[in-house]
Amino acid sequence: MTAMRRALPFAMDRYLLLPLGACIALLWANTAPAGYFVVADRLSFAVNEVGMTLFFALMTREVLEATSPDGPLHTWRRVMLGVAAAVGGVVGAVASYITYLHLGDEGSVLLRGWPIVCATDIAFAYCVARTVCSPAALPFLLLVGIISDAIGMAVLMIRVPAGDVHASGAALVIMSITSAIVMRRCEVRSFWPYLIGPGSLSWSGLFLSGLHPALALVPVVVLLPRTARVRGFMVDAPARARDPLSCFYRAMKAPGHGVLFLFGIVNAGVVLKGAGTGTWAVALAAGVGKPAGILIAVALAVAAGLRLPRHVGWRDMIVVALSASTGFTFALFFATVTFGVGPVLNETKLGALLSVDASLVTIAVARLLRVGRFAEPRAPGATVPRRYRRAYSTLPPTIV
Amino acid sequence: MRVLIATAVVVLTAAPPGRSSVTFAVIGDSGTGDRVQYELAQQMAAVQARRPFDLVIMLGDNIYGRQQPGDFVQKFERPYKPLLDAGVRFYAALGNHDNERNRFYRPFNMGGERYYTFAVRNVRFFVLDSDSLDPKQREWIETVLAASTDDWKICYFHHPLYSDGGRHGSQVDLRVVLEPLFVKYDVNVVFSGHDHVYERIKPQKGITYFVAGSAGQLRKGDLHRSDLTAAAFDQDQAFVVVDIAGDELTFEAISRTGQVVDSGVIHREGRPWKQ
Repeated sequence: MTAMRRALPFAMDRYLLLPLGACIALLWANTAPAGYFVVADRLSFAVNEVGMTLFFALMTREVLEATSPDGPLHTWRRVMLGVAAAVGGVVGAVASYITYLHLGDEGSVLLRGWPIVCATDIAFAYCVARTVCSPAALPFLLLVGIISDAIGMAVLMIRVPAGDVHASGAALVIMSITSAIVMRRCEVRSFWPYLIGPGSLSWSGLFLSGLHPALALVPVVVLLPRTARVRGFMVDAPARARDPLSCFYRAMKAPGHGVLFLFGIVNAGVVLKGAGTGTWAVALAAGVGKPAGILIAVALAVAAGLRLPRHVGWRDMIVVALSASTGFTFALFFATVTFGVGPVLNETKLGALLSVDASLVTIAVARLLRVGRFAEPRAPGATVPRRYRRAYSTLPPTIV
Repeated sequence: MRVLIATAVVVLTAAPPGRSSVTFAVIGDSGTGDRVQYELAQQMAAVQARRPFDLVIMLGDNIYGRQQPGDFVQKFERPYKPLLDAGVRFYAALGNHDNERNRFYRPFNMGGERYYTFAVRNVRFFVLDSDSLDPKQREWIETVLAASTDDWKICYFHHPLYSDGGRHGSQVDLRVVLEPLFVKYDVNVVFSGHDHVYERIKPQKGITYFVAGSAGQLRKGDLHRSDLTAAAFDQDQAFVVVDIAGDELTFEAISRTGQVVDSGVIHREGRPWKQ
């Protein structure tokens, strides 16, 4: 029990519960598929449409913190290069996905799946990049990931309605936002009323609007009052912080990771024998198209007058571009939204899982290019590689 | 509900009058445009001359490779010209190699829908898009199955719920979703392709499953017989001819050379396990 208590925070901090769930699902789906698919089908709605609201709520909090004053992504100057890189990454990934399909001379059903390759698993990519990249490059990676996912999400919401569209859905969403604003004005200090009232309204509204209800808590989290600042990504709020957003993060972090574990179980169980065109198209787009697109876009932006982030060189940029190509959770989610049960979903999910390999490539390339932790040997007693010492000293301590 | 209205009812009225039985041919994975597809089509025309079909059902992968107008001529209109000229109508399901836009191709009679249903006398056909069984399609198939009062209910789609094909095999994720509905609403027979062989599966919960994905493509020797296998043929291209009269469904699987490689009768009856 004590070991479990120690292991759980360790696994959560390193984002390991989702990969664990994914491994269990893979093993299960390939040894006892009938049992697995029955369980996955029964849990699918509860996990994907309800539980994942928590994950996206927690991710929203991270974005809020990163883009607030003092946050690493604050100010448009820092944002511009990231926007260019993200757009370049998306264009590169989508172009290579579509090109690969057309090389097979077919305009098959897979063409519908291009938003899948927009995905970047920001948490997973961050965890990998944190161990190898220059810390100065991490905010840039975050920004690229967030914008890529936002593009993919927006496209999916428009192109793939989750259900029949009812006009009452929009009214419920407006009611949800209005009630959250009223609660904020009335200085409601607990996050629970926000979740139960506006959260439920938002979920119902999105569901009735034909939009994916997993995003229901995004507007609610944006409106949660906050006073405490955290510096960094996936960092706990200070223990003394009592504002609703900090309390929400503390209370929901463990359930959120539990949901991710279940998400892995429900969505990552693919039959390995079912690899096909979709698998290779997604994997190629993630592994080649996206990093190439990011690097080309950054080169063009720099040529147009923008500057690389401070203390980030081209070698760091290559590693960041590779890190951003891991689609994993988001790619699985996008695939599930795009395709119904069947072999095409299986194929594309397999490609999404393969995109995790990008993390191994990232580490290998970082080592090859002597970037981040693989930079020149440290001076005796130093805790930070010499060439990054200045970068570390200028960043918030929690990012370091 | 709008979706249901749009997709549910494509009524077939082309059946020749004066006949009480329903005869149709089944082809899957046919659209290669190569010589063997043409030869099989000739064999179909020869059989049709003796036992006129009401229709041909296509199990998907109807057009392989490039899907330009010329390809529809080379891979569909030309090989099946004798049948088309004889007034035989084709009803297609989409496969993983088919472009979704092919549902608008008139000779496929899909009414512009990915999934649809039609009836010939006392036989109702339910055509699914097994590439992506989204929640709307699941809701739709349950609704139309529940509403059907026809004597015979036949489902067809591309990916097999049961198959001993070595390349693909059973699509278990689809099976856990569809089989309970098929059992609940008394589906009698299910046809699929995808594996490029012919196989008849022993009845599963009262339903007979056919894999007939060798009307153009063939994966010779790919079939690994198991306890599920009732009959199988993986040495040449093949198609199936089905005749339904009263409570009996008679089928023959016929090879490219005209050899009958499997035949039998399926009786429509109640299902003891549902009690």
